[in-house]
Amino acid sequence: MTAEQYLLEIKNLSITYHAVHPPVKAVDGVSLQLRKGESLGIIGESGCGKSTLALGIMGLLKQVGVEGEIIYRGQNLVGLPEKRLRNYRWKDMAMVFQNSLEVLNPVLSIGEQIGEPLRAHYNLSPLEIDQKVVKLLEMAGLEPEWRHCYPHQLSGGMRQRVLLAMALSCDPELLIVDEPTTSLDPASKNEVLQLLQKLQKKSGFAMILISHDLGAVKKLTSRVMTLYCGRVVELGITSEVLKNPLHCYTRGLLNSSPNFFRYKDLWGIGGEPPPGGSIEGCAFYPRCCQGEESCRQARPPLRYVALERMVACHKGGIETFLRAEGIRKKYILKEREIEAVKGVSLEIKSGEVVALVGESGSGKSTLAHILAGVLPADAGQVFFKNKKVEGRWATKMVGGMQIIFQDPFSATSHRLKVLEVVREPLDIIKWGKRDEREEEAMKALQKVQLPVSPEFLNRYCYALSGGQRQRLAIARALVTKPKLLIADEVTSMLDPSTQANLLRELKALQNRHGFAMLYITHDLHLARKIADKVYVMYRGEIVETGVSFEIFENPEHVYTKRLLREAFRDLV
Amino acid sequence: MLVKIVEGGKEFSLPGKAGLAVILVVLLAAILAPYISIHPHNISSGPPLVPPGGGHPLGTDELGIDLWAQLCYGARVSLLVGFGTALLAALGGGLIGIVSGYLGGWPDKVFMRLIDIMIVLPDLPVMIVLAAFFGPSLLNIIFVLALFSWVFPARIVRSQILMVKERSYIKSAETYGAGVWYLLGKHFLPEVFPLVAVNMIRLSGRAIVAEAGLSFLGLGDPTSKSWGLIIHHATNFKGIYYTDFWKWWLLYPWLALIIMVISLALISRELERMVDPRLGR
Amino acid sequence: MEYLFTIWVLVTLNFFLPRAMPGDPFLYLSADEGQEVARFSEEQRQYYLEYYGLDRPVAGQYLSYLADLLRGDLGYSLYYNEPVSAIILRRLPWTTFLVMAAVLLSTVSGTILGSLSAWYREKLLDKLLFFHLILLSEVPAFLLGLVLLFTFAAGLGLFPLSGAITHFASYSSWWEKLLDILHHAFLPVMALTIARLGGMYLLSRNSMTTVLEKDYLRTAWAKGLPQKRIIFRHALRNALLPIVTRVFLSLGSLVGGAILVENVFAYPGLGHLMREAVMVHDYPLVQGIFLVVTICVLLANFLADLVYRKLDPRIGDYSGIRGG
Repeated sequence: MTAEQYLLEIKNLSITYHAVHPPVKAVDGVSLQLRKGESLGIIGESGCGKSTLALGIMGLLKQVGVEGEIIYRGQNLVGLPEKRLRNYRWKDMAMVFQNSLEVLNPVLSIGEQIGEPLRAHYNLSPLEIDQKVVKLLEMAGLEPEWRHCYPHQLSGGMRQRVLLAMALSCDPELLIVDEPTTSLDPASKNEVLQLLQKLQKKSGFAMILISHDLGAVKKLTSRVMTLYCGRVVELGITSEVLKNPLHCYTRGLLNSSPNFFRYKDLWGIGGEPPPGGSIEGCAFYPRCCQGEESCRQARPPLRYVALERMVACHKGGIETFLRAEGIRKKYILKEREIEAVKGVSLEIKSGEVVALVGESGSGKSTLAHILAGVLPADAGQVFFKNKKVEGRWATKMVGGMQIIFQDPFSATSHRLKVLEVVREPLDIIKWGKRDEREEEAMKALQKVQLPVSPEFLNRYCYALSGGQRQRLAIARALVTKPKLLIADEVTSMLDPSTQANLLRELKALQNRHGFAMLYITHDLHLARKIADKVYVMYRGEIVETGVSFEIFENPEHVYTKRLLREAFRDLV
Repeated sequence: MLVKIVEGGKEFSLPGKAGLAVILVVLLAAILAPYISIHPHNISSGPPLVPPGGGHPLGTDELGIDLWAQLCYGARVSLLVGFGTALLAALGGGLIGIVSGYLGGWPDKVFMRLIDIMIVLPDLPVMIVLAAFFGPSLLNIIFVLALFSWVFPARIVRSQILMVKERSYIKSAETYGAGVWYLLGKHFLPEVFPLVAVNMIRLSGRAIVAEAGLSFLGLGDPTSKSWGLIIHHATNFKGIYYTDFWKWWLLYPWLALIIMVISLALISRELERMVDPRLGR
Repeated sequence: MEYLFTIWVLVTLNFFLPRAMPGDPFLYLSADEGQEVARFSEEQRQYYLEYYGLDRPVAGQYLSYLADLLRGDLGYSLYYNEPVSAIILRRLPWTTFLVMAAVLLSTVSGTILGSLSAWYREKLLDKLLFFHLILLSEVPAFLLGLVLLFTFAAGLGLFPLSGAITHFASYSSWWEKLLDILHHAFLPVMALTIARLGGMYLLSRNSMTTVLEKDYLRTAWAKGLPQKRIIFRHALRNALLPIVTRVFLSLGSLVGGAILVENVFAYPGLGHLMREAVMVHDYPLVQGIFLVVTICVLLANFLADLVYRKLDPRIGDYSGIRGG
C-alpha cells in the first residue's frame, strides 16, 4: 500500500505541551491512516489526548512541540508555515468544534460566520456567499432566516447545527468532529447524529469522530481507535471492537457506558490516568486488572492480534482464561444413551462474567463439571490459561480455577466445623502456616457475610441452614483466590439481599483484579444484570452466543427468544 | 494594619518593596518633621528664592521660607488627607456595602442607584463647587474627598457580602439562631476586611492626588500647606516661567507627589495580587 | 429614565448648595495664608441677595430656579458683566476640543499598544510596555502637564506658555489659524492623553488577552481566515466592548483632569473659567459651569449606552453596561 492511497496519514505523531512544567506529552507516538470517505472514531476518557490530536492535525496548537508527520495527500503538514497551512484549513480539512457557548463569536451574525471561510478561500461575490449560506443552513436543517441572528439566540442543538453548516461551507475532504453530542438532550442528539450520517453519505467526506459517547461512535464510524495517555491502545473495526474489546481499557470504557448495557451495573475504571510526563512501560499498567510487574518495564508496541485488529498490550490484549473445544459427553442410563453435551466450545476471558443459561436438563451442569475437570469428557479439550487441563493442576493452586456445586448440602461435610471446611483447600495444598490459613479463611467468610465469631467457627455444618451452607461453599472456593470461578446455580438458595451483596463483591473482584466467572443459571434477570457475555444452551448444544446487550436486546435463535419471552413476560 | 503590610512586604516583588520603603520614609519625615527640618516651615528663614545648597538643602520660596521644612510638614498634610479620606470612605462605604448587600431589597436598590450616579459624575467639578461653598478647611476637604471615594469600598464589600451570604456556613449559622451582629463580627467582616484594607491604600493615593489638584487650583486649606499648595504658589509666581526658580521650588514638591503616588500604587498593586490572585494582572 | 433622574438630582443639589452654606455665604473667601476677608462690594451683595431670592420662601425659589433653567437662563455674571450662559458657550468648545482629542488619542494609542502587548504576551515588547505604562498610569494629568510646560514650553520654547490661540494675530489663511490652535493645544492634549494612556493600555491588554484565549478565536484560526481579519473582525471587535464602556465611564475623571490641565496651561476652557469664577466668588458662574459640565458628561454616558447596544448584540433592552 503506498502513501498516495491515503487521504491522511499520521506517522508516529507526538505533541508535547511545553508551557506547563513538567512538559506534558499529550499525544505520544500516534499513527493512523484514513482513506477517502472513511470514518474513524477516537475514544478515550477526558484528557487522553483526543482533542489535542484533532487540534494538532489542524495545526491549531500553540506553544507545543510536534514530532512525527501528518501527511495530507502526500504533503507533510508538520513544520509548514502558517500561511501554507491556512490554505488547507477549512478548504481541505474542517472541524466541528466541541459545542460551547463561546465557540461562535458572540458579536458576529451566524451568516457572517458561516460565510466568511468562503470569502477567505474562494473568490465569490457577497450575493453568491449569501446564497451558499442559505443552502448550508437548509442542509443542516435550519431555517435560512437564522443567518441574521447572533449565537446567543440559539439553543445548544441549533448551535451544533450551525457548527456543522460552518464546517461544511468549503466542502472539506476531511471533517474532524469533536464531541458532537455532549450537552445535547437526547432528541437533538439523535437528530445531530442522523444529520452527520446523512451528510457524510451525501458529501463523501472522510471523518474523524472524537467522542466518549460510544453510541455515537458505533453509529457513525467504521473503524475505531482507543487512546490512552496519548497512545493508541486498540484499533479495529468499530462493531468488532465494541462487541469484543481486546484491551482492558477499551473494555473498561464499554463497561462504563450506560447506553450499551441498559440493565447491567455500571463499573468505571478504577484509578486515575497518570499525570503528564513520559511513562516508561505500559501507560495503563497501574489501572490494569491483569497487569504484572513486567508490564512496567517496556512500552507495549501496537501489534496485530487478529485481522484488522491491533492492540498494544504485553499480553496480547485481554487474556483468555478458559477455552473449551468440542466437548462431548454421553451418559448411559440402562439401555438409553443420553448425549448431555454435544460438541460445545466456549471461551472465558480475564475479567469476564459469562452466563450460561438454559432450562433445567440442558446439560449446563455437566458442562461445568467437565470444564472444572471433575468429570472426564468423552471428547474435546479444555485449556486454562492456554495450558491443557489434565488432572487437577488448575484447581489445586492458588489463583487458579474453582467450582462451586449446585447442591449446598452435599457440597460440605456435615461432620466438619465451619472453619475446617473453609480452610480445607489451603490445608490440602499446604499453603502457608496454620494461622495464615485461618486468617484467609476468616476473610473469605466475611466476603460471603458469614459471622467470624469463635462460636460460629466451631459450629458443625449440620447445624447450618441451606443458605449458610451454600455461602460456606462459596467461601471455600474463594479462599484460594481463584482467577476463574465456575458457579453452578450458587445463589439460588440465598435470600435476595445476601445474593446482591455477594454478587457485588464478585463484580468488584472482577473489575479490580480481572477475576472471571462462568455463571450457570436459569435466572435470566440476574444474568442480565451481571453478565458480560451469554451462552445459551439447549439440549446439549450452544445455540446462541454473544455479548449480553446483543443477546438480551436482539435474540436471534428461536429458543433464546422463547426463553426471554418467558422470563420477562411479567415485566414487559 | 501597618505591621501586617510590613510583614507582607517580605513577599513583595522589587517594585513593591521600593514603594514600601518610600512610604516608610515619607511617614518618618512626616512624624519627625519638627526634628529633621532645620528651619521653620511657616516663617521666613533666609533670603527669598535661594537655590538648593548652603543652609537650605532644597532652597527657599519667594518669602524666604525653607522648602525642605515645607516638604516635611507638607507630607503630614498629604498623609493625613490620604489616610483620613481612605479611612472615612472605607468606613462609610463599608457600612453602605454591608447594609446594601446584607439587607438587599429597597436599601440595596437605592444605594446601587446612588453608586451608578456617583460613577458617572465628574468628581472634580463637584469637588470644586463643594469646596468653594463650604470653605477650604482640611476637614472639609477630607470630607468632600471621602464623599467621592466611598463608591469603591461599597461595591467591593457589597459583592463580597452577597457572595458570602450564599455560602452554606452562613446559612447554617443562621439556623442556629445567629444574629446580624454575630454574623458580621464572626463571618462578614473578617471576609471583607483584607479587601477593604487593600483598597484603602489605593484610595489614599487617589485622595492625595485629588487634594493636590484642589490645592493647585487654590482651593486647598491655606493654613496647612500641602505639596499641592506649594505647587500652587510656585505656578502663581509671575516670573516662574522665565527664571530657574522652578528647578527647586516646583520640582521638589512635584517629585515628592509623583514618587508618593507611584509608591502607593505599587504597594496596592502588590497587595491586590496577594489578596486576590485574579486581580493581579 | 435613569439619566433624567440623575440630572434632576444634580439640579436640585445645585439649588440647595449655596443655601446650605455655613454662616454668611458671602464672607468666605479662599485667600492666601488664612485671612478671611469679605471682599464683596455692596453691589455684588445686593445682586446675590436678589439672584438667589433669599427673601422668598424656598419652594417658590426652587420653582423659579427650575423655570429659569428650562429657559437656558443660568444667571448673570457680575464679574464678567455678561449672562452666564453666554460665557459658558464661548468657553465650552475649547474644553470639548481638549477632551475629545485626548479621548481619541489615548483610546486609539492605548488600544493599539494594549493589543500589541497581548499579541506578544510575555515577550520583551510586552514587558517593556507593561512596566512603563503601569508607572505612567498613576501620574495625574496636571502634574504631567507641569513637566511638559516647563520642559517644552518654558525650557525649550517649542510651544506657547499659555492660551489657546495667539492674541491679536492675523492669519493669512484658515489653515494657518488651525496650525496655531493645534500648536497651543498640543501640550495640554498630550498631558491628558499620556495620563490616560496607562489605564487604556492596561484595560485593552487585559481585554485582548482574554479574547485571544476564547474558543471562538480558535474557531476563526481553524477556518483559515487571513490574519488581518482574525485580529480586527474577530479579536478586536470583542476586545473593544469593555474599552468602549471604559471610555465613557472615565469621561468624568477625564473632565476633572482637563479642568486642572487647563489651569496649568492657562487654556481658556471651562476649567480655567471655573477657577477664575471661584477666585472672584462669581457663584452663579461656578454653578452654571458645574451644571453644564456634569450634564454634558451624563449625556455622553447616555450616548455610550446606545453605542454599546449597537456593538454587542447580546445586550437586550436592559442596560447592562454598568453591572460589575
